[in-house]
Amino acid sequence: MAQPRISAYLPPDTDPTKAALAFGRRALPKLNEELQSPELLTQQRALMALCDLVHDPEKVYQAIALGFLDSLKTLLGHQDQTVRQKATEVLSVMASHSIGREGLIRSGVISALAGLLDDPVDICRKNIHQTFDMLAKLPQGAGGVLQAGLIPPLVLKLKTELDEIQELILDTLSNCLRVEVSEALEAGAVTVLKEKLSHPSTAIRSKAAWVLLEISSHAEGKMAMCNEEVIPVLLSLLEDTQPEVQENSAGALMFALVTPQGRSSAMGAEAIPPLLTLVAEETSKARLNAIKTLTLLAELPEGRQTLLAHRDTFLRGLDDPSEAVQRAAEIAITVIDWKP
Amino acid sequence: MVPVRAPELAVPASVPYSFSSQPRLLPPRPKYRPRQQANAAPREKSPVHHCNIMIDPRVVRGNVLSVPPPPPQIIHPSTLGVKRHRRAQKLAKRLTEEQIRPGTPEPVKGREHVYVQTELYLEEISDRIIEIDGECQTDEFLDRPPTPLFIPAKTGKDVATQIEEGELFDFDIEVKPILEVLVGKTVEQALLEVMEEEELAQLLSHQRAFAELRNAEFAELQRLEEQDRRIREEKERRRLEHLEKLRKQKETAEKIAARAFAQRYLADLIPSVFNNLHDSGFFYDPVERDIETVFLPWLMSEVEETLQKKILGRTMLDSLIRVVVEKRLDEFRHSPPSDQKEAPAEEPGATDGAPEVSGEADAADEPVAEEEETDQPVAEEQPTDFISSQLEEQGQEATADLETE
Repeated sequence: MAQPRISAYLPPDTDPTKAALAFGRRALPKLNEELQSPELLTQQRALMALCDLVHDPEKVYQAIALGFLDSLKTLLGHQDQTVRQKATEVLSVMASHSIGREGLIRSGVISALAGLLDDPVDICRKNIHQTFDMLAKLPQGAGGVLQAGLIPPLVLKLKTELDEIQELILDTLSNCLRVEVSEALEAGAVTVLKEKLSHPSTAIRSKAAWVLLEISSHAEGKMAMCNEEVIPVLLSLLEDTQPEVQENSAGALMFALVTPQGRSSAMGAEAIPPLLTLVAEETSKARLNAIKTLTLLAELPEGRQTLLAHRDTFLRGLDDPSEAVQRAAEIAITVIDWKP
Repeated sequence: MVPVRAPELAVPASVPYSFSSQPRLLPPRPKYRPRQQANAAPREKSPVHHCNIMIDPRVVRGNVLSVPPPPPQIIHPSTLGVKRHRRAQKLAKRLTEEQIRPGTPEPVKGREHVYVQTELYLEEISDRIIEIDGECQTDEFLDRPPTPLFIPAKTGKDVATQIEEGELFDFDIEVKPILEVLVGKTVEQALLEVMEEEELAQLLSHQRAFAELRNAEFAELQRLEEQDRRIREEKERRRLEHLEKLRKQKETAEKIAARAFAQRYLADLIPSVFNNLHDSGFFYDPVERDIETVFLPWLMSEVEETLQKKILGRTMLDSLIRVVVEKRLDEFRHSPPSDQKEAPAEEPGATDGAPEVSGEADAADEPVAEEEETDQPVAEEQPTDFISSQLEEQGQEATADLETE
């Protein structure tokens, strides 16, 4: 009966594509049974309902406790693309919760998802890569991805996938390679990333530079960077228009120049002027990385000579609001003034 | 004469009887009749003694529901006399009832009386009541099936009302709160979503800042590590160089010391070697050597020869003298001349020095000659040169004599 009082409840949710939810605690067990039913329509409707429920962390916890992940793993191999798409979506939303991430890592969903990397449907792949991305942000997740041997396929995928998915792959790789880098180097990651550095999209360039940063923070990575002559490319990126690209490439250089060969190749490629412009720019995000890179170059005698002339740039860095930049500038000045 | 109730109260009960009063404690009934008191005052109930309700006969006992309540008494039922009277009546009735019904005669011998039911329907008489247990249980909770659509049948009359425009409500005024809520809720939801996104963006930027700091620190760490490594390597190299230098220095010093020592040691080596060689006869004067090796042996051999000759001469002389002496001896034996003995006594004294040498070969020497030889060897040694020269002359003379003979 219509009343002039406005109800505090939302209107009833009568979406025909979603399964009816049982009351209270029975909702998720019932959905679990429906997921395992042989009828396609039931499964699809259950998955749609599950997608909405999984935004609530408590439901995620309950779902994992009930063993939803096993049913979802089975569904990942289903022929129907809606089922696969929704199942991957559910997994990616679960991965955005901490409980979900832990549950996913424990139940070995990563290897199950690895089989779907070549799925013909784009959305499925996108969801899969989103899941990997969220999982790789955890140290155990990164370890799980490494153990599942996913790095070589991911590196291969970089060459062939769509741009959005490439961004997700690059994010995943950057988190995983922080831990261990040998597999990626064997798969020829540095070559692939070198190509990506000249990609038209800003996001891909900056993320590729970020991945190179993570690679070169390891010793083998540094050797690979010097061998593949990535340093000149990074130096050219320093003059890029986008600040993130500048920042990330300065960071990658910062790590790559620790080795003597890196330093000599950088000096040969005239690294100092662009770095100095980056430091001088007051608003650049790349200041910190640029100052650190210049510190590294200042340890070479030729570098020191050149930088003695530009000492006042670093003195201005001492007044920077960010504390890290101040410290970096102090260290840089110490290194420049050092006499043997 | 008992008081009579009002006639209207004596109507037979069409309404069930009820009585109510304020509850009050009943006065106790003493167990024994109270003694007749002297003043024979009407006995009043003494309200002091309280009586047990269980034995109070005024309380109705037994089934109160089936037996119809007694009709309301005309007389007040609480007089003692009436009570006594009723009790006597009851007793009489019970006695008469018992008397009316005679008991069954005793059974004849050999028979037994048994109680038998004679009604139409037999009854089982037993103490134990037949019981049957039955139980029921609710079913497990099933999902409530969807409620079937219930449309009640139409009852009643249809009545319609016509509402004119503007009679019921004013739209513009009424719609305001609805709109407010709608818009408000939408905006609220939108704000929530925007805030969530903002929060996520903040988190991401926070993460990025942290990652940047971490990377910067890490790079610093690696740079310092690299520096440290270089410095250490440099130090190591220099240390090794220094060690090498020290070693070489030491070696050189040792070499110099060894050289000096060797020089000093061998300084007098050459003289001593030369001395030794010299002493062992390696450096010889060839002339001297020649003289020594050739000349002197020759000289000695010549001397020896000469001496041999002299010895020969002397031997000859000895033999001559011997012959002569033997002859003279023979002659002496024949004619003993004493002065001829002296003459050969000198000569044998002189010539005994010579046959010393040949005395060894000559085993037939006389013992006199031997004594003389032993007496005179010491004296004879000294003037050997002189005697040798004398003998030489005598030998020459003897030979000359022999030759001439």
